[in-house]
Amino acid sequence: MEIVVCVKPVPDAETRLRTSTDGTTLDIEAVKFVLAGYDESAVEQALLLKEASPGSKVHVVSAGPPPRTEEVLRASLALGCDQATWVETAPGVAPDPVSTARALARVVSAVPHDLVLCGKQAGDDEAGVVGAALGELLALPDFSAVLDLRWDPATSRLRFQRGTESGVEKWEASLPCVVSLQQAWNDPRTAKLPAILKSRKLPIAKVPLETSGSPVGTSRSTKFELPPPRTGAKIIEFKTPEEAAQKLVRILKEEAKVFP
Amino acid sequence: MTGATLVVGELHDGALSEATKEAVGVAQTVSAREGVIGFLAGSSSRAMASGFGRYGVGRCVVVEDARLDGAVAAVVAHMVAQAADSVGAELIVVGGTTFGRNVVARLGVRWNAAVATGVTGLARSGTMLDVRRPVFGGRATETRQLEGNHAAVAIRPHAFSVAEESPVDVALTVLAADGVPAAYWSPKRLGVEAAPRGSGPTLTDASIVVSGGRGVRAAENFHLVEELAASLGAAVGASRAVTDAGWRPVGYQVGQTGKAVSPQLYIAVGISGAIQHLVGMVSSRVIVAINSDASAPIFKVADYGVVGDLFQVVPALTAEIRRARGQ
Repeated sequence: MEIVVCVKPVPDAETRLRTSTDGTTLDIEAVKFVLAGYDESAVEQALLLKEASPGSKVHVVSAGPPPRTEEVLRASLALGCDQATWVETAPGVAPDPVSTARALARVVSAVPHDLVLCGKQAGDDEAGVVGAALGELLALPDFSAVLDLRWDPATSRLRFQRGTESGVEKWEASLPCVVSLQQAWNDPRTAKLPAILKSRKLPIAKVPLETSGSPVGTSRSTKFELPPPRTGAKIIEFKTPEEAAQKLVRILKEEAKVFP
Repeated sequence: MTGATLVVGELHDGALSEATKEAVGVAQTVSAREGVIGFLAGSSSRAMASGFGRYGVGRCVVVEDARLDGAVAAVVAHMVAQAADSVGAELIVVGGTTFGRNVVARLGVRWNAAVATGVTGLARSGTMLDVRRPVFGGRATETRQLEGNHAAVAIRPHAFSVAEESPVDVALTVLAADGVPAAYWSPKRLGVEAAPRGSGPTLTDASIVVSGGRGVRAAENFHLVEELAASLGAAVGASRAVTDAGWRPVGYQVGQTGKAVSPQLYIAVGISGAIQHLVGMVSSRVIVAINSDASAPIFKVADYGVVGDLFQVVPALTAEIRRARGQ
């Protein structure tokens, strides 16, 4: 099976967010970038499928600026991906999710792809758009919020579950298709040191960001606001647990107005 | 952008879903009332179109085709784009469900729309649309400008009020499910199991979440958290300590490596408040923390705190809530 997995570097969750003085951008200088959480699940899923179907190959693709994009591609190679392609964007150029999908689709359509895997969304912009947009660009069906994916060689079908608002849906689909994974259900592996060292020397194919129109697409960020810092909890004084409960229920009803 | 707004409807228990009613509500704030048009696909779409009429939407495009029941979002997006062109829509609004986000993403390509998901604010700005949406797990809010002639947005659950009831008759436009690529029809949905509490979108879509942490001490004590959640009709979550220890499955986990939630009310029981957990729940509207350690970081982000023994406070709270709700 030829598997393509699309990944994105995102700021580590412990990053302190600050806005630029004019509020038009987030100041994420000197931030550590990591593989997006949902994308870790996608890489893990790709490697599990590869291990279950001998002769399979995993090609990891990412679109973004240096150096963070190269770093997550190398991290994916260290985990066991076979090949990597980097669509290099200029620092400070932030393509919208549909433009990112277009850049990825150009790469994917030019290589063998039975299965295209993505994370459901990334923890920074949280758009969750790339997987389905990739599907439309490649004229393939896509499935998001997938929890548990198995390949059935007897019927040549993928069987999987999706966690949606209706509950857990069971699906069956033939290849090729696009699958966006729910996070962390498969306990992603970590890379071993020798593999990390080896990945530093592996080749990464680099392609420029080609665009027919605007490099960022038709939607763009114009402002970022941070919530006012929380000032700390109002601590409820009580002598008995019952008193604490009564006071809390009264607060939820009358002050916070969130009592159901 | 001054044209019509198309609202893509989803059904739940034989009526328009709450997410759809919220989408109608927000559509009516950015378009004149007569400019809001409904869309429904599936075997019961013609019969269900009156559901839009109940909320003042006097026109609806329907694709009455049983093949659309349980079809992938790709099929529906295809029909939505056709419907939008047939009525001259410039904006498409969809409820903030998995399906809604997928449809919007597809429309970004198929309908050349500027797209935004997780939208909590929507306003016209000259000829463009400005949307507001939480990013970084709610740690920042982005304003995004949607340019061009077409925009498609998926709103965030619970972010907007549902439309007000003001019944009107509905004029129908009927479309046939033509021109859909064959590959989009072949996947099969084999079945649906109702979500177990604490897993799947029940957790991410719930308006109240009650989560337990290390302070619960053992799997056999977790029922205290679940009973509190049940008294409120809330979803159950857990910190990483709980899922790592195997007290509850990983699907319960709220946090950086679990699910991000932003309910109206979040109650943290025996959770110290590691950054790992906080990034998954800090955008909740009201946060209550119950913890025996007054110096726990959770009290810095909580709105209300109870410093006390959860084994005493939680049962008392559950009983008080049941009493208050007449259970």
